[in-house]
Amino acid sequence: MKRLQVLTVLAYTTLAACARSGPPPAPGGSQLPPAIAYEAHVAAGGIAPAGGVLTNPHAGDAAVAKAGEQLFSAMNCDGCHNLGAGGWVGPNLADGRWRYGGADAEVFSSIYYGRPKGMPAFGGVLGADGVWTLVTYIRSLPLPSDLPTESWEQQP
Amino acid sequence: MLRQPITVILLSCSAACIPQGIACAAGAPAGPAEDGQWTMPAKNYSATRYSGLSQINAQNARSLHPLWTFSTGVLAGHEGQPLVVGETMYVVTPWPNVLYAFDLRKEGHPLRWKYRPDVSSNALGVACCDAVNRGAFYVDGRIVYNLLDGHTVAVDARSGRELWKTAIADMGNGETVTMAPMVVRDRVIVGASGGEFGIYGWLKGLDLKTGQIAWTGHNMGPDADMLARPETFKPPYDGGVDVGAKSWAGDSWKTGGAPVWGWISYDPELDLIYYGTGNAAPYDPEARVGDNKWSASVLARRPGTGELVWAYQFTPHDNWDYDATGAMVLVDLTIAGRPVKALVHFDKNGFAYTLDRASGKLLVAAPFAPVTWAKSVDLASARPVIEPAKQTGVSRGKVTGVCPSLEGAVSPASPPAYSPRTHLFYTSTNNLCMDYAAAHAAHLRATPYIGVDFAYHPGPGGNLGAFIAWDAASGRKAWEDKESYPSWSGALATAGDVVFYGTLDGWFKAVDAPSGQVLARFKVGSGVVGNPIAYRGPDGKEYVAIYAGIGGDWALLAGDTRSDDPTDVREPAEFMKDIARHTSQGGIIWIFGL
Repeated sequence: MKRLQVLTVLAYTTLAACARSGPPPAPGGSQLPPAIAYEAHVAAGGIAPAGGVLTNPHAGDAAVAKAGEQLFSAMNCDGCHNLGAGGWVGPNLADGRWRYGGADAEVFSSIYYGRPKGMPAFGGVLGADGVWTLVTYIRSLPLPSDLPTESWEQQP
Repeated sequence: MLRQPITVILLSCSAACIPQGIACAAGAPAGPAEDGQWTMPAKNYSATRYSGLSQINAQNARSLHPLWTFSTGVLAGHEGQPLVVGETMYVVTPWPNVLYAFDLRKEGHPLRWKYRPDVSSNALGVACCDAVNRGAFYVDGRIVYNLLDGHTVAVDARSGRELWKTAIADMGNGETVTMAPMVVRDRVIVGASGGEFGIYGWLKGLDLKTGQIAWTGHNMGPDADMLARPETFKPPYDGGVDVGAKSWAGDSWKTGGAPVWGWISYDPELDLIYYGTGNAAPYDPEARVGDNKWSASVLARRPGTGELVWAYQFTPHDNWDYDATGAMVLVDLTIAGRPVKALVHFDKNGFAYTLDRASGKLLVAAPFAPVTWAKSVDLASARPVIEPAKQTGVSRGKVTGVCPSLEGAVSPASPPAYSPRTHLFYTSTNNLCMDYAAAHAAHLRATPYIGVDFAYHPGPGGNLGAFIAWDAASGRKAWEDKESYPSWSGALATAGDVVFYGTLDGWFKAVDAPSGQVLARFKVGSGVVGNPIAYRGPDGKEYVAIYAGIGGDWALLAGDTRSDDPTDVREPAEFMKDIARHTSQGGIIWIFGL
């Protein structure tokens, strides 16, 4: 277990080091900057700014999602977002609600570049494929059936 | 800055006593005259949180009622306490660490000024457990306090202007600052949080006038880093050259945590400051074989130079996140007929300790809450007698039934009070146990370095908390008021023999100091995780102030008490499903009076 996790981290660190040696990282293989399209920006201007299209190469791949779950602990994501990503000092990632958008590309941007209020940028250490692995895990999480209502009384 | 001449204070004392027919001097030892102010976090250097005011007493407490409230505009946990200096009340909020100065002379207590520091929002992702602040210190015309992003500021108490601002902690290394500073003579003494980020824990002394860092003493590591010299560092147990490095496997001390996020006390006669260190990092003890000195310990240093004089470790080789950052209360006790300059500490690990504060020798150690990780503390060796089945580590898998939980038998954020009239300590307690499964953690700078999967369960009896009175000379509980929820507020004791505390579901309570009988209570709008204070207002009357504002660990554990973010909706805590029925976030300052 330990060896596996350490190897995983090493693999991504090596990958990241390779990415750093060339031109600025090009997530998803595109040379364009990623699209910025989370809710607040869209609402402000009505149109998402132009940018490259980010596509998850592992979308829906259960084996990658499993690896992503390990990476979620190995990279200390669980220290802020909790085991199972249910929220701790960082927000819940398993409630189907998103501060910066929940599409694959939006989750990718949040992890790769970081976000305000303390989300570090993990792109440098993980590289694009590592981030996609995490995205695949996070997108695989089951969503609660009834989220908005919490009741302490007998339901009719 | 004394608000009133001494003669007025004496008059108000007599006036309070005559109608009751009780002698003022009864049971009250000679001490510094009560000036009616609250100028430092724990009221005095000894950290007793005892006010000599006595207008509010067991007979009239039932008529206590709220007189004034103010919303701070901040939703994080409101730990800490206000200060009252002269006719001004000072309040520091959680991040963004606004400092408010209220004019107590005027109706409605309008602000004289407010100070809004430039504080980084990145700190919100480096602070482990909510963006709390534990308060300010007043000295010599200055308000001194810490910012979450690793700065200490001094602000002119009259004008609100910033006098200096010093970077003391490095968020890039996982350090943030939540503790309240201590000021002794010309030294401002501060420490950093980050036990969950694998920091190299330290205490620093700053120059009061300039803010420059005069000394840094680490809590572990080689003697030179710890400011420990063989001729002056005399720990009563477990000494030795570089024990702060040699008691850690390899160089694990470099990322071993031992943060300073609680309270500091000071004995002017011995010229020693006392403070506790937090947990050893990471949470997997097998990653740091050895005693891990001086994590989970009390350290005594010279305030002027930072020199380490003695240290005592409550939890060697911390397996359970048992920070020792709770208050070190300095009182003079009589133990077995002998007068003792004592230090009393309620630890997360469930034992209450009474030490000789000159030498660090252990005198009394007794459990004040259910304990399963140790059978007892051996007074000869001063070490806990460990229950082997409760030791944790990756190789041990899930260890069940560990009491107390890693929230502690009391939170270090919830300091006790001591009354020299009843000779009793008063403290909140938690009645939680846990299952603890250590996991590997990789150290990546400025990310969490934890490695544990845990679950909480109610302790014996089913009540999740209590407020207790404790005799530190004998190590016995005098009384206990059970609480439905973990009790997370500090305590206040007064010369009127009324003790105050707040509950997690938002009740502010006044209880009878000798018996624990509830005299008055009021629902303050949000759970209480702050510490009550008493002061004499400009009109000569006694008032009590408290923050409402659930948070701290409860923002994490009971995430359904939050309603501020539609993109972050949490499930209730498994062990405490209905706290959100009774409280939600919201920082409010309350003032009560007769």
